[in-house]
Amino acid sequence: MTKATARALVYLVSGVVASAAGFAFSLAALVGVGLLAVTQLGGPAFLGAARVSRTLAGIERRRAGWVLGATIPAPYLPGTAGTIRQRVTAVGTQPATWRDLAWLVLLIPLGLAGGCAALVVTAVDLGAIVAPAWAWAVPNPRAPFPMKPLMTTPSGRIVLTVLGLLLVPVVAWLLRTLAVLQARLARALLAPGTHRRLVEQAAHLAATRQRVVDAQAAELRRIERDLHDGAQARIVAAGMTLALAARKLRTGGGTGGGAEADVALARRQLDEALAELRRLVRGIHPPILTDRGLHAALAALAGDSPLTVEVRADTADRYPAAIESAAYFVVAEGLANAGKHADATTCTIDISRTVDTLRIRLADNGRGGADPGGSGLDGLRRRVEALDGVLTLTSPVGGPTILDAEFPCAS
Amino acid sequence: MRIVIAEDLLLLREGLVRLLTDTGHTVVAAVDNADSLVAAVTEQRPDLSIVDVRLPPGFRDEGLRAALRLRAADPDTRVLIVSQYVERAYAAELLADGHGGVGYLLKDRVTALDDFLDAVERVAAGGTVMDPEVVRQLFTRNSRNHGIDGLTPREREVLALMAEGLSNSAICARLVLAPVSVEKHITNILAKLDLPPATTAHRRVRAVLAYLNAPL
Repeated sequence: MTKATARALVYLVSGVVASAAGFAFSLAALVGVGLLAVTQLGGPAFLGAARVSRTLAGIERRRAGWVLGATIPAPYLPGTAGTIRQRVTAVGTQPATWRDLAWLVLLIPLGLAGGCAALVVTAVDLGAIVAPAWAWAVPNPRAPFPMKPLMTTPSGRIVLTVLGLLLVPVVAWLLRTLAVLQARLARALLAPGTHRRLVEQAAHLAATRQRVVDAQAAELRRIERDLHDGAQARIVAAGMTLALAARKLRTGGGTGGGAEADVALARRQLDEALAELRRLVRGIHPPILTDRGLHAALAALAGDSPLTVEVRADTADRYPAAIESAAYFVVAEGLANAGKHADATTCTIDISRTVDTLRIRLADNGRGGADPGGSGLDGLRRRVEALDGVLTLTSPVGGPTILDAEFPCAS
Repeated sequence: MRIVIAEDLLLLREGLVRLLTDTGHTVVAAVDNADSLVAAVTEQRPDLSIVDVRLPPGFRDEGLRAALRLRAADPDTRVLIVSQYVERAYAAELLADGHGGVGYLLKDRVTALDDFLDAVERVAAGGTVMDPEVVRQLFTRNSRNHGIDGLTPREREVLALMAEGLSNSAICARLVLAPVSVEKHITNILAKLDLPPATTAHRRVRAVLAYLNAPL
């Protein structure tokens, strides 16, 4: 309690100094930047002023945080490199810059008033408490009623002391309240605003989702490789052993007693397991996508399709794995639907890339009427949206069906 | 026959070595990456290299690319590509230079030992071997197009075997037909597909693949 009161007192009194600094800075900044604004030096002067105001605001944040018992975080967005003009815009568009300034201006009356009030109240109360020690030295026979008996008689001075002591909790409460109010106001202006918090939250969420998506794409590739190098390779190896065994049985003169037939059966079963594994791997992450990238994989898809498929793509770029995989499955599903449900005979796939978008369009000549809520399309949409992409389907009855997928894809 | 093997998985590499050694071949080098493959082939000059498509360090198509480099440097290099999966694009790249002595097989085919050994012999002898799975993919894809619809079922069978790289006599044996009727079928096929007749086995495969890979 005593500590908090002492802190409040120090905060309020030091506020006087701070308000003086704030006043000096605000005036200098106003005049300096104002005058230089018409010259080439306007930009640097503004940036310099902003730096000073940030330093002052930083001190204010520490002072207020000291009283409130909690650190106040700085609200500034990371600095950008570039020309003076770009940096001025970057600093000038941040609300934090102007909130700092607002606080420094507001501090001039607040700090002064709070500091003076704290000093006066404390001095009066302390003076009353120690009245017996000094009131005799300033006898004032003409003092008005309550003061004269209190100051001039020894019993009066004792009463003054008692009064002073009784007032101590009140004074302490007053100091703390004043300090906390001022500090809270400081926090309201100097801490990151809602806007900044939302911006940070959005950036954080985007980053974590990106990590999840990347991790998932990596996981799919890992599973594909594990199946290749693990399960499939083991089955092939077992098959080789069986093949050698079968050969030995054969050359050994056929004394195996039906073992040959068993070996042949086992080999057929292994072959079926392998075919099944290959089908599985293609469904998870087609090997060609890993090996050669999106364009080669789409060309292979186009080749496998019973439709006449034209792929129009201008580059052999590689894209992020998650995007390649999502784009591949969009085309795979689109082609399958075109063949199965739309009775299409030809399909065109266009891939185009602008600076930050990868766009894939699938257009068939079928009879349309596709259900955008169908399970296959819904799954695709979720997959595309997880990458901040957009999937649009236009499929009027009578056709044609056009499937569009757009992915944000910074180069 | 002197053979170099490039396969990164120990299990399969050892299996292949054992299998080939047991059947009377000599494995002069068994390596696990593309660079060592190039070095081994350059140094050993083997009769045949058996190469996995995916090799370290990237595990993409390093093996295939190394094989294509080797064949570009010396067209007589015989390469049998084995892979866990078949991709038509890879088959087309292998065949693109027009020389024989290449093959592309699924790894599973190894377990059909006699067929595999037969493929090894054919590639080493300068023939061309395509996995039936590649051929099947090509046929599915084009079943709606071109003149294939005009072929009789028997002719289609013959075409599929041609595409796998079998010689006339092998086709005769497989389909239990007289050499004369096989030749007749082939003449009909090439005529129906509007392809000039060709004599050697790998040129026929090229013709088949070129036709099947033609833009739609």
